Amino acid sequence: MFDVIVRNGLIVDGSGAPGFPGDVAVKDGKIAAVGEVVGEARTTIDATGRVVAPGFIDPHTHFDVQLLWDGAARPALAHGVTCVVPGNCSLSLAPIKAPDRQRVIGMFQQIEEMPPEAFTTAFEWSWEDFAGYRAALEPGLSINVAPLVGHSVIRLWVMGAEAQERAAAPAEIAAMQALLRECLDAGAVGLSTSFVDVDENGRPVPSRFAQFAELDALCAVLGEYGRMLQVVPEFYATDITIARIDQLGELSLKHDIPTTFSPLFDTLAVPDNADRAISRVEEQFARGARVWPQMQTRPIDISFSLLRPSLFFARWPRWVRVLRLPLDARETALRDPDTVAKLIADTGPDGGEAALGRLVARGGDACPQAFVGQTLSQIAKARSQTPAMALIDLSLENKLDVAFLSAGQGHQSTDRIGPMLAHPLVHIGASDGGAHLSSFSTYGDTGYLFSEFVRKAGALTLERAVAKITGETADIWGLKDRGRLEAGLAADIVVFDPDLIGRAEERPTFDMPGDGMRYVRDATGIDTVLVNGEVAYAKGAYTVARAGIVCV
Amino acid sequence: MTDEAVIVGAEIVAGHDGAAELLVRLRHPNGSEGPVVLDEMTGLRLMTACGVTHVDDLAGQSWRRILEGL
Repeated sequence: MFDVIVRNGLIVDGSGAPGFPGDVAVKDGKIAAVGEVVGEARTTIDATGRVVAPGFIDPHTHFDVQLLWDGAARPALAHGVTCVVPGNCSLSLAPIKAPDRQRVIGMFQQIEEMPPEAFTTAFEWSWEDFAGYRAALEPGLSINVAPLVGHSVIRLWVMGAEAQERAAAPAEIAAMQALLRECLDAGAVGLSTSFVDVDENGRPVPSRFAQFAELDALCAVLGEYGRMLQVVPEFYATDITIARIDQLGELSLKHDIPTTFSPLFDTLAVPDNADRAISRVEEQFARGARVWPQMQTRPIDISFSLLRPSLFFARWPRWVRVLRLPLDARETALRDPDTVAKLIADTGPDGGEAALGRLVARGGDACPQAFVGQTLSQIAKARSQTPAMALIDLSLENKLDVAFLSAGQGHQSTDRIGPMLAHPLVHIGASDGGAHLSSFSTYGDTGYLFSEFVRKAGALTLERAVAKITGETADIWGLKDRGRLEAGLAADIVVFDPDLIGRAEERPTFDMPGDGMRYVRDATGIDTVLVNGEVAYAKGAYTVARAGIVCV
Repeated sequence: MTDEAVIVGAEIVAGHDGAAELLVRLRHPNGSEGPVVLDEMTGLRLMTACGVTHVDDLAGQSWRRILEGL
């Protein structure tokens, strides 16, 4: 008697091999058989007309905090993601000494945009070391977690406040090495570091004060375990990114470790950016190094409100001058008929129809619900105004706290990005799940992979797309028990409709602690998700299963 | 020919964190050109430091103005 049999599906096993009709049987949390399964099960799932695949793995998230009260990392699990990697970009929730918590909270808030209540009311912060964090996390998990430990918090543990002031002494580097070993023994799957991030005061995070000798020493420890180094390089300049790729190549070869950097994205303003980086990655792999670039699937949007200056208006000097004014003076200027007439004239003879008409009112702020999701062109018509006038008036009516979105302004060319995602050395990731909560949705990149790059563009076959975010991801990260439908491996399984899998429209929701807002996207086409053999999501609802683990 | 890098152009691009960012093209003393992307606050501070309100007016400014915005 099996625990579960998924019957009559198209088995896409995560290896990249062609799909085939068959069944998947599960017993004691493991895959017991794949193919034509004879026998009975306590639970049978009919997958007729559906794909049965390994659960998706998201290698770049910031769910460190959310997982403490939401073990499903909602809505990641509903999108078919059965394993997330938190602790990216040099920040994790352990090891952190109690007196240092507030300092790290500031860094997390800068990245995640998490409300303060998330740290004060949503969980009891009972641990300092990595083993303690794992113990606090694991009982509530319905999704698997493969956590990184952050270089910045390791530095802070050893050096205190001076971690954000100076290079480390040899004895301090040795102490960091010992601490990293302790974290890896407790279940960390690697180390993350950043050359870019800042704290809430705009100061570089601690990892940015490290000299190369420190990073080299920490990578020596990763080499003892064969574990991953994740890096945020200076992605704002291609030449520096390439220099980092070379540095990662040296570290990978010297210590025999995998490395990955994120984000790498395409921009039409610098059309050779991604190509040059990928070419350098190819050179490093040819030498035997492992330097995996992570590329997201979703386009990049620009959002702004009139509450603060935005470069979105940098082509219109008058708008820049007005938006730089102090808040009271700004509102006064925006109510002045002469100023407004000039502002509108700046946006073009059509009153901003071409320049602003496609902006979307986002919601989640003071925007009246009736306008949420509508374009400025639609709102303007309803109000019998020009789009520029509607932008100003709608903002003024709501204390300027109305956010507008300009969709698909970067990483938006499917024709260019499809082949990059299909490249055998490009690692699909960099979702940032659980971060940038109040700026945009970081959920649904896996669905978008299928809807945009498999169904619409045909840049990848169904099987290649599945392999990219399951088997290949598990191989890159050394997750030996995950990523494929193969007897003996963990039964992380997603059943989905290949014609419908995708992501819904972005919407605001208020489900963060303290009624904090975030933007999310719901999943489409996902029927059932099993984690370690238990049904964690089915028919559009999460179950009570808590079978997730910290997996290594 | 100047002995230090100068800004030869700038445009608005989308940043990975959802903000509008400023892509600045620099021409170096050896004649080569290359882009650098500045985050929103740094970009706005650069425009302030240069006393301009239009990105096109950044052309001709020294790259050192960028440092003032950091």
